[in-house]
Amino acid sequence: MTWVAWRLQRTETLIALALLVLIGAVLLPTGIEMSHAFDRDHLSLCLGHRPSGACNNAIEGFLSRFNSLGDLLAWFTLLPGLLGVILAAPFLLELEQGTYRLAWTQSITRGRWIAAKLGLPLAVALLVAGAYILVGTWWREPFVRMNGRMDTATYDSEGIVALGYTLFAFGLALVVGVLWRKAVAAVTVAFVGYVVARVFVDTWLRDRLVTPLKLSWNPAAGQPAALDHARILSEGGKILLGGGRLIRQGGRSRSPVTPAAR
Amino acid sequence: MSGLEVVQGGGSAPAVAADGLGKRYGAKWALRNCTLEIPVGAVTALVGPNGAGKTTLLQLAVGLTVPTAGEVRVLGLSPRHDAHALLPRVGFVAQEHPLYRGLSVAETLKVGKRINPGWDNDFALGRIEQLGLPLGLKVGKLSGGQQAQVALTLALAKRPELLLLDEPVASLDPLARREFLQTVLEATAETELTVILSSHIIADLERVCDHLIILSQAETQLVSPIDEVLASHRLLTGPRTDPATIARVNRVIRESHTERQTSLLVRADGHAYDSSWELHEVDLEEIVLAYLGHRRAGAATGATQRSSDRDVVRS
Repeated sequence: MTWVAWRLQRTETLIALALLVLIGAVLLPTGIEMSHAFDRDHLSLCLGHRPSGACNNAIEGFLSRFNSLGDLLAWFTLLPGLLGVILAAPFLLELEQGTYRLAWTQSITRGRWIAAKLGLPLAVALLVAGAYILVGTWWREPFVRMNGRMDTATYDSEGIVALGYTLFAFGLALVVGVLWRKAVAAVTVAFVGYVVARVFVDTWLRDRLVTPLKLSWNPAAGQPAALDHARILSEGGKILLGGGRLIRQGGRSRSPVTPAAR
Repeated sequence: MSGLEVVQGGGSAPAVAADGLGKRYGAKWALRNCTLEIPVGAVTALVGPNGAGKTTLLQLAVGLTVPTAGEVRVLGLSPRHDAHALLPRVGFVAQEHPLYRGLSVAETLKVGKRINPGWDNDFALGRIEQLGLPLGLKVGKLSGGQQAQVALTLALAKRPELLLLDEPVASLDPLARREFLQTVLEATAETELTVILSSHIIADLERVCDHLIILSQAETQLVSPIDEVLASHRLLTGPRTDPATIARVNRVIRESHTERQTSLLVRADGHAYDSSWELHEVDLEEIVLAYLGHRRAGAATGATQRSSDRDVVRS
């Protein structure tokens, strides 16, 4: 059944891999260039300090050179959706063309058939999304060290968030396809649904989440006691804190920025 | 194992046994109150107009849908609960014989081989060669008749005991239809294959089938061996008469009157008629149409309740 499942979604799997190759072709060279520039200009030394003239210039220079690339990467937030719906397509075609009636009346039970038919694209989706997440996270490192990882394009493209979005798009396409039985229409609707969900989360929902706390201190003085019960979401030029007591202390209003070690 | 006949559980069970079987989609019954038994070792035709429930009955038998009411057992097994045991023993060609259009003929056979433990590859290859189909050609590029033949090959090469064909010839031209049915006939001659095929085209069935089941308005009307059906039905023509005198002793399937003449299609069962009636033999198509028309008239007016209560085999 593995061969059958593979053969019946070869095209979609190859498209998914081609997407990955395309992303790699964009991210790997620019990422290497960016990380070289970051080291060459000693930007890491500028982080965590009050801006000085030389540092300001270096940061400005880096940003003006690479910011457009960062904007480009924002478009890659569409990737999990694309991956999810493309890899759900073979299953939907099966429903549309009625070939499930052929498949479910061979000698294997439909349970086994569905497991293979959905298991393989799921594995491919998660692998491709995982590879994209790893490469993208590596690529974004210089930006993250300057801006933190809490901005939308970054946060939503890293870790399990992007995996979650891939699964969401995959599942949405399946649901629409099972109800509608038109593969192309279902894939389109699911992708639009994915974009709408992303826009909803980014523009409406995120504003209503608890704001993370930011804390800065002099590394020489050691880590402040306030951090003992906090989960550090990001550290580097900026440190963002979330969870634990600090949130409750700060309430839902503006987060108190502790001006430690000026 | 020589001389030892291994009878599997339910080996002597009927091919399909339905008991009060019904399937409802929303408010509409696709099949209702269907009770019948289809024997093994025969070719049975399931005829009726579109929407009569033929497809539903076959899909229930092969486990593609679940009954709303009643029960169906295939080779003594439940299509849904014993799917693991039943599926290898049943071949099914769905309506419009769906195939993976992007696969080549060879790949289609490979799919069959991979998901059927009993797959007979020599048989499958032999069939394809006999049909003269290039193995490398995409299935989507084949003609409708060729696709039907590939689908049939796929179903036969798993070496089933029971072959279910849902409107296998509906989309085929007359020549392809003959060739397809010929293949089915050959398969039944070679092995102990039981075949149930549904069709709204009655032509050609006489040649192929042993048994006839008429489904209409989602209910069963007639279950009989075809030769019996042909032998027992007669068309009577005579001077205009009150059909009730005939109906007392016979089932009147269809009656039509002109000013001077009455013609009746009756289930005669060898009954002798007085000489005022002229007896004609009728072909299968006419009998089937009479049953279908009879049911419709009864449903439309309710006036023929008298005869329909007696005629319709609702078992």
